Amino acid sequence: MNGLQIFLSQALEYWPQIVAGLGNTLLLAAVATVSGLLGGIGVFYLTLSSNRLCRRLTEAYISFFIGTPLIVLLFLMYYGLPQWGVQMSPLTVSVIGFTLNVSAYNARYLMTAYRSLDPDELQAARAQGFSDWQVFRLVTLPQVLRLSIPALSNQAILNVKDSSVAFLIQYTEFFAQMQDLAVRSFRFFEAYLVAGLVYVLLVSVVVLAARWLERHYVLPGARRKY
Amino acid sequence: MLLTVRNLVMAYDGRTVLDGVNFDLEEGELKIVMGPSGCGKSTLLRCLNRLATPTGGQILFQGEDILRPDTDVRALRQRIGFVFQNFALYRHLTALENVTLALRRLRRLPVAEANARARHELSRMDMLAHQDKYPAQLSGGQKQRVAIARALAMDPAVLYFDEPTSALDPLMAREVVNMLHQLRRDKVSILCVTHDLYLARAAGARVLFLDQGKILAEDEPERLFDSHADPRIRAFFRQELEQQRPEPLPI
Repeated sequence: MNGLQIFLSQALEYWPQIVAGLGNTLLLAAVATVSGLLGGIGVFYLTLSSNRLCRRLTEAYISFFIGTPLIVLLFLMYYGLPQWGVQMSPLTVSVIGFTLNVSAYNARYLMTAYRSLDPDELQAARAQGFSDWQVFRLVTLPQVLRLSIPALSNQAILNVKDSSVAFLIQYTEFFAQMQDLAVRSFRFFEAYLVAGLVYVLLVSVVVLAARWLERHYVLPGARRKY
Repeated sequence: MLLTVRNLVMAYDGRTVLDGVNFDLEEGELKIVMGPSGCGKSTLLRCLNRLATPTGGQILFQGEDILRPDTDVRALRQRIGFVFQNFALYRHLTALENVTLALRRLRRLPVAEANARARHELSRMDMLAHQDKYPAQLSGGQKQRVAIARALAMDPAVLYFDEPTSALDPLMAREVVNMLHQLRRDKVSILCVTHDLYLARAAGARVLFLDQGKILAEDEPERLFDSHADPRIRAFFRQELEQQRPEPLPI
């Protein structure tokens, strides 16, 4: 048997674990994308608060989590917190870590889009009698979300790719399984190549979904010309 | 009396923008506010619907002191239509949705009823054919009409216009005059801030002249433009006439 045959036979034998790892990768990426989006919207809402302290704290949150590498956050929670008696599963740590991190990035994207809104539009809504919350929900949010589709979908792509970092805290996602396969078969090049190709495939799906979203939900008048 | 403003003062950043403004607006009346840039015209409108909070004075709207701390500002604003200088339509919504949003979310009308009322107002503004278009697909004049329909749909007691012609080309600006006449025929009370002399003259309404935060005069446009005793007012209108005179056509 040549090297490639060894790799293929090992891959076939190891197939259930690889599929399970792929499922874990998709689970983490999907949860991080959804919770990060919801968290991002929440943080973005707080940045618009009329309370200066609230705005400062929110800014500090965003700066801290954008400035801290995700791996540090994950290690801090997974290896650091048990020192204080707090122990969580790898999935829980990954979901919390990703959510905190992705929320900060998403809030920043939404804030950038917010700056491009016409302030008179928001004032017109207030002049009509809408409350601040209604202005946010009915006028601000639908527009900033639609303006942020490219940035938010880039973040979703990053979530898919960055989920591999969770392997360093014992989360048995796809890359962890491929790493195992590489070690078992001693075919590192093939294992990592296949891993890379699978990530490209996953990212392509996200890209296609993002393009569909952009086509259908782009703000009229803000359509980009390709 | 629909609106009574007494000794209205508005100061911010150490600057007095409105300095004891007094005027009245009757039911069904159209009144124009004119004055140099930065004289406080737009601030005055914003004080009248509490988008800005005056530092002193009294505003009686339908007999109610709207500067009292216990005023329900949101309820007050729902009784006032405000048409912004650049129309301020919600760009993620169609013309119809722009008009129905407040009807559905504030008046809690069912969709069918809100749509029917919105279509009636759009039709009144000759915009029914464009009800499914987004603001980006409309011309300046069309946006203006949708903005008016949006304001009228809430059946307001008064309409405030902030520089309704400044974002329009001259032809569209003339259409605004026709619209004002139409609204006046429908007994809509209007307070219109403008620096457009044509609009002020053609609207056939009394003009308040505001300068440095004070109402210096209230009169018929002709008397104000041509022969007012105050030299500051004469100088302002002379200068405006010079600026707004159309360029001669090239031969």
